[in-house]
Amino acid sequence: MSTQDQNQNGYLLLYRSDEWYNTLSHEQLQEVINQNKAWVERLIAQGKAKPGHALERKGATVSGKNGRFVSDGPFAESKEVIGGYLLLDVATIQEAIAVAQTSPALAYNTLIEIRPVANECPLDVRARELAREEELVNA
Amino acid sequence: MSTQNQNQNGYMLLFRGTDLRKGLSPEELQKVTDNWMAWFKRLTEEGKAVAGNPLEREGKIVSGKDRVVSDGPFAESKEAIGGYFLLDVATMDEAVAIARECPGLPYGIRVEVRPVAGECPIAADLRDVRADAQLANA
Repeated sequence: MSTQDQNQNGYLLLYRSDEWYNTLSHEQLQEVINQNKAWVERLIAQGKAKPGHALERKGATVSGKNGRFVSDGPFAESKEVIGGYLLLDVATIQEAIAVAQTSPALAYNTLIEIRPVANECPLDVRARELAREEELVNA
Repeated sequence: MSTQNQNQNGYMLLFRGTDLRKGLSPEELQKVTDNWMAWFKRLTEEGKAVAGNPLEREGKIVSGKDRVVSDGPFAESKEAIGGYFLLDVATMDEAVAIARECPGLPYGIRVEVRPVAGECPIAADLRDVRADAQLANA
């Protein structure tokens, strides 16, 4: 599949971490913030990233038919909470990985999930595949 | 804190659950997709959605000081993120009301609603800590 290696739509970086920053001193923290800011600004200047955003470590989760369940979450202490995102405008997953590997956040217990942005919804693609399979069976 | 109910920077909807297509007929699946696209189109026309994308199922994870690359997230799971919307609405209540319209909800999709931070929350924390320290030293 071409999307595994090449993608016209770019790649989304999702930052996942716990609240590691609570264990750092002011100075250490300021240094990480400055490093990260410089890193993102450099990528934007190179045309490799669009401005990303941090997410507040709180929110809600909606689930169930008609969204009848609304719960608090995600839980702040979880290691997997998504703390922010950055959209990379690069053409290959290898390039996206190479950019992610230079992130200053990796030194601080942060995982970076790299996901190709889809041109069309994978559900749509699957619906068409299923329809084709049915046609073949019925042919 | 004001960000719990009001937020100038908007909200992100993260759609969790990439396993809904199991057990659905092509027609049902097509209907969910069509409804989802119509929903996004309406929100965009209303000026409430400013961005949104589906994500491919496969991806990579980079982690640790050694910058190790592994495959992930697992192709189909209840937790994996299948896509996102960025909403330009001013309150959590409004963002949750929109999340409750998601056509995937009857099929097990969960929608995580997160306030977008105006500045990095870590930088904001640091400012608070500094302000406290100044008060303590005053």
